[in-house]
Amino acid sequence: MLERPDALRLIDAAFADQPLVLTLGGTIREMLAVVGRKPNHLYSLDAMGQPLAIGLGLALGTSRRSRGERLVVVEGDGSLLMGFSALSTVGHLKPRNLVVVVLDNGVYLATGGQPTAAASVDLVGVARACGWADARDVDSDVDALTRVLAWAATAEGPILLRVPVGTTQPKTDFFLEDPVVLGRQFMDWLDSSAEASR
Amino acid sequence: MPRPLPSALLSHVDTRERLVRATQPGSGRGVEAIDPEFVLHLPSSTLKLVLGHFLDGPGARPDRRIFPIPREEEGISILSGLALAGRRAVMIFQDNGIGNMLTALLTFPQPYHLPLFGIITRRGGLGEYNSMIHTISERSEALLTAADVRWFQLDAQTPLEDWSPTIQRGYEYAHTTHRPAFVLVNLMGG
Repeated sequence: MLERPDALRLIDAAFADQPLVLTLGGTIREMLAVVGRKPNHLYSLDAMGQPLAIGLGLALGTSRRSRGERLVVVEGDGSLLMGFSALSTVGHLKPRNLVVVVLDNGVYLATGGQPTAAASVDLVGVARACGWADARDVDSDVDALTRVLAWAATAEGPILLRVPVGTTQPKTDFFLEDPVVLGRQFMDWLDSSAEASR
Repeated sequence: MPRPLPSALLSHVDTRERLVRATQPGSGRGVEAIDPEFVLHLPSSTLKLVLGHFLDGPGARPDRRIFPIPREEEGISILSGLALAGRRAVMIFQDNGIGNMLTALLTFPQPYHLPLFGIITRRGGLGEYNSMIHTISERSEALLTAADVRWFQLDAQTPLEDWSPTIQRGYEYAHTTHRPAFVLVNLMGG
Protein backbone atom coordinates (compact mmCIF):
# COMPACT_ATOMS: atom_id res chain seq x y z
CA MET A 1 0.00 0.00 0.00
CA LEU A 2 1.33 3.41 -0.98
CA GLU A 3 1.38 6.11 1.64
CA ARG A 4 0.25 9.56 0.61
CA PRO A 5 3.72 11.16 0.45
CA ASP A 6 4.84 8.38 -1.92
CA ALA A 7 1.91 9.04 -4.23
CA LEU A 8 2.49 12.79 -4.10
CA ARG A 9 6.13 12.37 -5.14
CA LEU A 10 5.07 10.35 -8.18
CA ILE A 11 2.33 12.81 -9.15
CA ASP A 12 4.75 15.71 -9.00
CA ALA A 13 7.28 13.79 -11.09
CA ALA A 14 4.66 13.03 -13.75
CA PHE A 15 3.45 16.64 -13.95
CA ALA A 16 6.56 18.50 -12.83
CA ASP A 17 5.94 21.68 -14.80
CA GLN A 18 2.17 21.69 -15.17
CA PRO A 19 -0.49 23.47 -13.12
CA LEU A 20 -1.53 21.41 -10.13
CA VAL A 21 -4.20 22.11 -7.52
CA LEU A 22 -3.60 20.57 -4.10
CA THR A 23 -6.34 19.79 -1.65
CA LEU A 24 -6.07 21.06 1.90
CA GLY A 25 -4.44 19.87 5.06
CA GLY A 26 -1.90 17.08 5.19
CA THR A 27 -1.78 16.75 1.41
CA ILE A 28 -0.29 20.22 1.09
CA ARG A 29 2.11 19.77 3.97
CA GLU A 30 3.30 16.40 2.70
CA MET A 31 3.78 17.67 -0.85
CA LEU A 32 5.87 20.50 0.57
CA ALA A 33 7.87 17.97 2.57
CA VAL A 34 8.62 15.70 -0.39
CA VAL A 35 9.17 18.17 -3.27
CA GLY A 36 9.31 21.61 -1.65
CA ARG A 37 7.40 24.71 -2.59
CA LYS A 38 6.69 25.05 -6.29
CA PRO A 39 5.13 27.95 -8.21
CA ASN A 40 3.02 25.66 -10.36
CA HIS A 41 1.32 24.23 -7.26
CA LEU A 42 -1.84 25.95 -6.06
CA TYR A 43 -2.23 25.36 -2.33
CA SER A 44 -5.89 25.58 -1.33
CA LEU A 45 -5.30 25.96 2.37
CA ASP A 46 -8.78 25.46 3.78
CA ALA A 47 -11.08 25.17 0.80
CA MET A 48 -12.52 21.77 1.60
CA GLY A 49 -14.82 20.51 -1.12
CA GLN A 50 -13.58 23.05 -3.62
CA PRO A 51 -10.41 21.76 -5.34
CA LEU A 52 -12.24 19.84 -8.06
CA ALA A 53 -14.39 22.83 -9.01
CA ILE A 54 -11.43 25.22 -8.77
CA GLY A 55 -9.55 22.85 -11.04
CA LEU A 56 -12.49 22.75 -13.41
CA GLY A 57 -12.45 26.55 -13.68
CA LEU A 58 -8.71 26.49 -14.26
CA ALA A 59 -9.03 23.73 -16.84
CA LEU A 60 -11.63 25.75 -18.73
CA GLY A 61 -9.57 28.90 -18.36
CA THR A 62 -6.35 27.34 -19.60
CA SER A 63 -7.77 25.14 -22.34
CA ARG A 64 -6.33 27.34 -25.07
CA ARG A 65 -2.78 27.00 -23.76
CA SER A 66 -0.17 24.70 -25.22
CA ARG A 67 -1.40 21.37 -26.46
CA GLY A 68 -0.47 18.60 -24.11
CA GLU A 69 -0.61 20.66 -20.94
CA ARG A 70 -2.74 19.13 -18.24
CA LEU A 71 -4.50 20.75 -15.31
CA VAL A 72 -4.06 18.35 -12.42
CA VAL A 73 -6.13 18.24 -9.25
CA VAL A 74 -4.93 16.20 -6.28
CA GLU A 75 -8.01 15.59 -4.18
CA GLY A 76 -8.85 13.50 -1.12
CA ASP A 77 -11.89 11.28 -0.76
CA GLY A 78 -13.41 13.41 2.01
CA SER A 79 -13.06 16.68 0.14
CA LEU A 80 -14.29 15.13 -3.10
CA LEU A 81 -17.42 13.88 -1.34
CA MET A 82 -18.00 17.38 0.05
CA GLY A 83 -17.92 18.88 -3.43
CA PHE A 84 -19.48 15.88 -5.15
CA SER A 85 -21.77 17.88 -7.45
CA ALA A 86 -18.74 19.06 -9.42
CA LEU A 87 -18.34 15.54 -10.80
CA SER A 88 -21.51 16.08 -12.80
CA THR A 89 -20.43 19.52 -14.02
CA VAL A 90 -17.09 18.14 -15.18
CA GLY A 91 -18.92 15.39 -17.03
CA HIS A 92 -21.20 17.98 -18.62
CA LEU A 93 -18.40 20.31 -19.73
CA LYS A 94 -15.77 17.65 -20.49
CA PRO A 95 -12.54 19.66 -20.21
CA ARG A 96 -10.04 17.58 -22.15
CA ASN A 97 -7.06 18.84 -20.14
CA LEU A 98 -8.33 17.89 -16.67
CA VAL A 99 -6.75 15.05 -14.67
CA VAL A 100 -8.03 14.38 -11.16
CA VAL A 101 -6.12 12.09 -8.81
CA VAL A 102 -8.11 11.08 -5.75
CA LEU A 103 -5.88 9.87 -2.93
CA ASP A 104 -8.38 7.75 -1.06
CA ASN A 105 -7.40 6.90 2.50
CA GLY A 106 -11.01 6.45 3.61
CA VAL A 107 -10.73 8.89 6.49
CA TYR A 108 -10.59 12.54 7.42
CA LEU A 109 -6.97 12.20 8.44
CA ALA A 110 -6.32 15.81 9.40
CA THR A 111 -9.08 15.81 12.00
CA GLY A 112 -8.26 12.54 13.69
CA GLY A 113 -9.07 9.79 11.22
CA GLN A 114 -12.87 9.74 11.30
CA PRO A 115 -14.17 7.56 8.44
CA THR A 116 -15.53 9.05 5.23
CA ALA A 117 -18.26 7.41 3.17
CA ALA A 118 -15.81 6.62 0.37
CA ALA A 119 -15.68 2.93 1.19
CA SER A 120 -19.34 2.68 0.18
CA VAL A 121 -19.04 4.75 -2.97
CA ASP A 122 -17.80 3.66 -6.37
CA LEU A 123 -16.05 6.93 -7.19
CA VAL A 124 -14.83 5.65 -10.54
CA GLY A 125 -18.30 4.44 -11.44
CA VAL A 126 -19.82 7.81 -10.54
CA ALA A 127 -17.32 9.66 -12.72
CA ARG A 128 -18.02 7.36 -15.65
CA ALA A 129 -21.75 7.71 -15.18
CA CYS A 130 -21.33 11.49 -15.17
CA GLY A 131 -19.71 11.35 -18.59
CA TRP A 132 -16.00 11.65 -17.83
CA ALA A 133 -13.77 10.50 -20.67
CA ASP A 134 -12.18 7.88 -18.43
CA ALA A 135 -11.95 6.88 -14.78
CA ARG A 136 -9.85 4.13 -13.27
CA ASP A 137 -9.17 2.42 -9.99
CA VAL A 138 -5.40 2.23 -9.62
CA ASP A 139 -3.46 -0.42 -7.74
CA SER A 140 -1.70 1.11 -4.77
CA ASP A 141 1.90 0.46 -5.78
CA VAL A 142 4.67 2.48 -7.39
CA ASP A 143 4.67 0.73 -10.75
CA ALA A 144 0.93 0.88 -11.26
CA LEU A 145 0.67 4.54 -10.31
CA THR A 146 3.69 5.49 -12.41
CA ARG A 147 2.20 3.76 -15.46
CA VAL A 148 -1.25 5.28 -15.12
CA LEU A 149 0.12 8.78 -14.54
CA ALA A 150 2.21 8.48 -17.71
CA TRP A 151 -0.93 7.45 -19.57
CA ALA A 152 -2.97 10.31 -18.06
CA ALA A 153 -0.33 12.83 -19.10
CA THR A 154 -1.28 12.32 -22.75
CA ALA A 155 -4.78 10.81 -22.75
CA GLU A 156 -7.83 12.93 -23.44
CA GLY A 157 -9.67 14.03 -20.32
CA PRO A 158 -11.42 14.51 -18.14
CA ILE A 159 -9.81 11.63 -16.31
CA LEU A 160 -10.31 10.52 -12.72
CA LEU A 161 -7.84 8.20 -11.01
CA ARG A 162 -8.70 6.72 -7.63
CA VAL A 163 -5.60 5.67 -5.75
CA PRO A 164 -5.93 3.95 -2.35
CA VAL A 165 -3.33 5.20 0.11
CA GLY A 166 -2.48 4.41 3.71
CA THR A 167 -3.19 6.53 6.74
CA THR A 168 0.35 7.07 7.96
CA GLN A 169 0.69 10.76 8.67
CA PRO A 170 4.27 11.97 8.78
CA LYS A 171 4.96 14.84 11.10
CA THR A 172 5.08 18.06 9.12
CA ASP A 173 5.09 21.74 9.97
CA PHE A 174 1.99 23.85 9.54
CA PHE A 175 1.99 25.86 6.34
CA LEU A 176 1.04 29.38 7.33
CA GLU A 177 1.72 31.40 4.19
CA ASP A 178 -0.54 34.35 3.34
CA PRO A 179 -3.14 33.05 0.86
CA VAL A 180 -2.84 36.26 -1.17
CA VAL A 181 0.80 35.43 -1.81
CA LEU A 182 -0.08 31.86 -2.77
CA GLY A 183 -2.71 32.97 -5.25
CA ARG A 184 -0.49 35.64 -6.77
CA GLN A 185 2.51 33.33 -7.16
CA PHE A 186 0.40 30.74 -8.92
CA MET A 187 -1.15 33.35 -11.24
CA ASP A 188 2.28 34.76 -12.04
CA TRP A 189 3.54 31.29 -12.84
CA LEU A 190 0.53 30.67 -15.10
CA ASP A 191 1.25 33.92 -16.94
CA SER A 192 4.96 33.25 -17.31
CA SER A 193 4.47 29.66 -18.46
CA ALA A 194 1.94 30.83 -21.05
CA GLU A 195 4.49 33.37 -22.30
CA ALA A 196 7.17 30.71 -22.47
CA SER A 197 5.00 28.37 -24.50
CA ARG A 198 4.22 30.97 -27.18
CA MET B 1 -61.84 58.80 -17.71
CA PRO B 2 -59.51 56.75 -15.46
CA ARG B 3 -56.32 58.39 -14.32
CA PRO B 4 -53.04 56.82 -15.55
CA LEU B 5 -51.41 54.51 -13.07
CA PRO B 6 -48.51 56.10 -11.23
CA SER B 7 -45.30 54.89 -12.75
CA ALA B 8 -44.26 53.39 -9.41
CA LEU B 9 -47.05 50.87 -9.70
CA LEU B 10 -45.50 49.63 -12.92
CA SER B 11 -42.13 49.05 -11.35
CA HIS B 12 -42.46 45.28 -11.52
CA VAL B 13 -42.59 45.51 -15.29
CA ASP B 14 -40.07 48.34 -15.43
CA THR B 15 -37.40 46.55 -13.45
CA ARG B 16 -37.56 43.45 -15.61
CA GLU B 17 -37.21 45.67 -18.64
CA ARG B 18 -34.24 47.39 -17.07
CA LEU B 19 -32.22 44.27 -16.61
CA VAL B 20 -33.19 42.93 -20.01
CA ARG B 21 -31.95 46.15 -21.56
CA ALA B 22 -28.82 45.92 -19.47
CA THR B 23 -27.91 42.70 -21.22
CA GLN B 24 -28.46 43.85 -24.77
CA PRO B 25 -25.32 43.96 -26.88
CA GLY B 26 -26.46 47.11 -28.63
CA SER B 27 -26.22 49.06 -25.43
CA GLY B 28 -22.47 48.58 -25.29
CA ARG B 29 -22.76 48.45 -21.54
CA GLY B 30 -23.99 46.26 -18.75
CA VAL B 31 -23.46 42.53 -18.83
CA GLU B 32 -22.42 42.59 -22.46
CA ALA B 33 -19.89 45.35 -21.76
CA ILE B 34 -18.17 42.89 -19.44
CA ASP B 35 -18.01 40.65 -22.49
CA PRO B 36 -18.02 37.52 -20.35
CA GLU B 37 -16.32 34.50 -21.83
CA PHE B 38 -18.09 32.31 -19.30
CA VAL B 39 -21.62 32.66 -17.93
CA LEU B 40 -22.52 30.36 -15.04
CA HIS B 41 -26.14 30.16 -14.02
CA LEU B 42 -28.49 28.63 -11.54
CA PRO B 43 -32.24 28.44 -12.05
CA SER B 44 -34.04 31.75 -11.69
CA SER B 45 -37.59 32.41 -12.84
CA THR B 46 -37.12 36.14 -12.42
CA LEU B 47 -34.11 36.08 -14.73
CA LYS B 48 -35.62 33.93 -17.44
CA LEU B 49 -35.39 36.69 -20.03
CA VAL B 50 -31.78 37.52 -19.20
CA LEU B 51 -30.67 33.90 -19.18
CA GLY B 52 -32.47 33.47 -22.49
CA HIS B 53 -30.30 36.20 -23.95
CA PHE B 54 -27.23 34.09 -23.24
CA LEU B 55 -28.70 30.63 -23.77
CA ASP B 56 -30.37 31.05 -27.14
CA GLY B 57 -30.52 34.76 -27.85
CA PRO B 58 -27.98 37.24 -29.23
CA GLY B 59 -25.64 36.54 -26.33
CA ALA B 60 -25.16 32.90 -27.33
CA ARG B 61 -21.86 32.95 -29.20
CA PRO B 62 -19.42 30.22 -30.23
CA ASP B 63 -16.63 31.84 -28.24
CA ARG B 64 -18.68 32.03 -25.05
CA ARG B 65 -19.44 29.16 -22.67
CA ILE B 66 -22.74 29.28 -20.85
CA PHE B 67 -23.41 26.45 -18.47
CA PRO B 68 -25.58 25.47 -15.51
CA ILE B 69 -24.15 24.74 -12.11
CA PRO B 70 -26.00 22.75 -9.48
CA ARG B 71 -24.90 24.69 -6.40
CA GLU B 72 -23.72 28.20 -5.65
CA GLU B 73 -20.57 27.13 -3.82
CA GLU B 74 -19.51 25.08 -6.82
CA GLY B 75 -19.99 28.15 -8.98
CA ILE B 76 -17.83 30.20 -6.66
CA SER B 77 -15.05 27.62 -6.97
CA ILE B 78 -15.31 27.47 -10.77
CA LEU B 79 -15.28 31.27 -10.92
CA SER B 80 -12.17 31.20 -8.74
CA GLY B 81 -10.37 28.91 -11.16
CA LEU B 82 -11.39 31.12 -14.05
CA ALA B 83 -10.18 34.20 -12.17
CA LEU B 84 -6.82 32.55 -11.49
CA ALA B 85 -6.56 31.93 -15.23
CA GLY B 86 -7.39 35.57 -15.92
CA ARG B 87 -10.67 34.91 -17.71
CA ARG B 88 -13.82 37.04 -17.76
CA ALA B 89 -16.78 35.37 -16.10
CA VAL B 90 -20.05 36.11 -14.37
CA MET B 91 -22.38 33.96 -12.26
CA ILE B 92 -26.11 34.65 -12.18
CA PHE B 93 -28.15 33.28 -9.32
CA GLN B 94 -30.87 34.02 -6.77
CA ASP B 95 -30.34 35.41 -3.29
CA ASN B 96 -31.69 32.32 -1.55
CA GLY B 97 -28.40 30.70 -2.58
CA ILE B 98 -26.24 33.21 -0.74
CA GLY B 99 -26.04 30.95 2.29
CA ASN B 100 -24.80 28.10 0.12
CA MET B 101 -21.98 30.14 -1.32
CA LEU B 102 -20.63 31.84 1.79
CA THR B 103 -18.26 29.17 3.09
CA ALA B 104 -16.72 28.66 -0.34
CA LEU B 105 -16.48 32.41 -0.84
CA LEU B 106 -14.80 33.03 2.51
CA THR B 107 -12.39 30.12 2.36
CA PHE B 108 -11.00 30.67 -1.11
CA PRO B 109 -11.60 33.72 -3.33
CA GLN B 110 -12.03 36.23 -0.50
CA PRO B 111 -8.83 35.36 1.42
CA TYR B 112 -6.90 34.75 -1.83
CA HIS B 113 -8.10 38.12 -3.21
CA LEU B 114 -9.64 36.87 -6.41
CA PRO B 115 -11.90 39.17 -8.43
CA LEU B 116 -15.17 37.30 -8.84
CA PHE B 117 -18.35 38.89 -10.08
CA GLY B 118 -21.94 37.78 -9.68
CA ILE B 119 -25.41 39.08 -10.37
CA ILE B 120 -27.83 38.09 -7.62
CA THR B 121 -31.53 38.42 -8.18
CA ARG B 122 -33.61 39.36 -5.17
CA ARG B 123 -36.61 37.52 -3.85
CA GLY B 124 -38.85 38.44 -0.96
CA GLY B 125 -40.33 41.83 -0.30
CA LEU B 126 -43.15 43.44 -2.24
CA GLY B 127 -44.38 41.27 -5.05
CA GLU B 128 -43.08 38.03 -3.59
CA TYR B 129 -45.47 35.12 -4.21
CA ASN B 130 -43.60 32.36 -2.34
CA SER B 131 -44.62 31.99 1.29
CA MET B 132 -41.21 30.69 2.41
CA ILE B 133 -38.43 32.27 0.43
CA HIS B 134 -38.55 35.65 2.17
CA THR B 135 -37.22 33.90 5.30
CA ILE B 136 -33.73 33.90 3.83
CA SER B 137 -34.03 36.34 0.95
CA GLU B 138 -34.85 39.36 3.09
CA ARG B 139 -31.61 38.78 5.01
CA SER B 140 -29.46 38.94 1.87
CA GLU B 141 -27.88 42.33 2.51
CA ALA B 142 -27.30 41.52 6.17
CA LEU B 143 -25.68 38.18 5.34
CA LEU B 144 -23.32 39.68 2.77
CA THR B 145 -22.48 42.64 4.97
CA ALA B 146 -21.78 40.40 7.97
CA ALA B 147 -19.45 38.36 5.77
CA ASP B 148 -17.67 41.53 4.64
CA VAL B 149 -18.63 40.83 1.03
CA ARG B 150 -19.07 43.91 -1.15
CA TRP B 151 -22.41 44.35 -2.87
CA PHE B 152 -24.27 46.97 -4.86
CA GLN B 153 -27.99 47.32 -5.38
CA LEU B 154 -30.29 47.84 -8.36
CA ASP B 155 -34.01 48.20 -7.80
CA ALA B 156 -37.12 50.08 -8.86
CA GLN B 157 -35.69 53.32 -7.52
CA THR B 158 -32.60 53.08 -9.73
CA PRO B 159 -32.95 55.19 -12.89
CA LEU B 160 -33.03 53.09 -16.01
CA GLU B 161 -29.88 54.67 -17.38
CA ASP B 162 -27.94 53.60 -14.28
CA TRP B 163 -28.59 49.87 -14.57
CA SER B 164 -26.05 48.98 -17.22
CA PRO B 165 -23.26 51.19 -15.86
CA THR B 166 -23.77 49.79 -12.36
CA ILE B 167 -23.33 46.23 -13.59
CA GLN B 168 -20.22 47.20 -15.51
CA ARG B 169 -18.82 49.16 -12.60
CA GLY B 170 -19.52 46.28 -10.21
CA TYR B 171 -17.39 44.04 -12.39
CA GLU B 172 -14.66 46.67 -12.54
CA TYR B 173 -14.86 47.13 -8.77
CA ALA B 174 -14.10 43.44 -8.24
CA HIS B 175 -11.01 43.71 -10.41
CA THR B 176 -9.87 47.02 -8.96
CA THR B 177 -10.13 45.78 -5.38
CA HIS B 178 -9.10 42.17 -6.07
CA ARG B 179 -12.17 40.93 -4.23
CA PRO B 180 -15.46 39.25 -5.04
CA ALA B 181 -18.26 41.74 -5.72
CA PHE B 182 -21.94 41.26 -6.42
CA VAL B 183 -24.80 43.32 -7.80
CA LEU B 184 -28.14 42.63 -6.15
CA VAL B 185 -30.92 43.08 -8.67
CA ASN B 186 -34.46 43.50 -7.41
CA LEU B 187 -36.94 42.60 -10.11
CA MET B 188 -39.78 42.10 -7.66
CA GLY B 189 -40.67 45.73 -7.26
CA GLY B 190 -39.84 46.27 -3.61
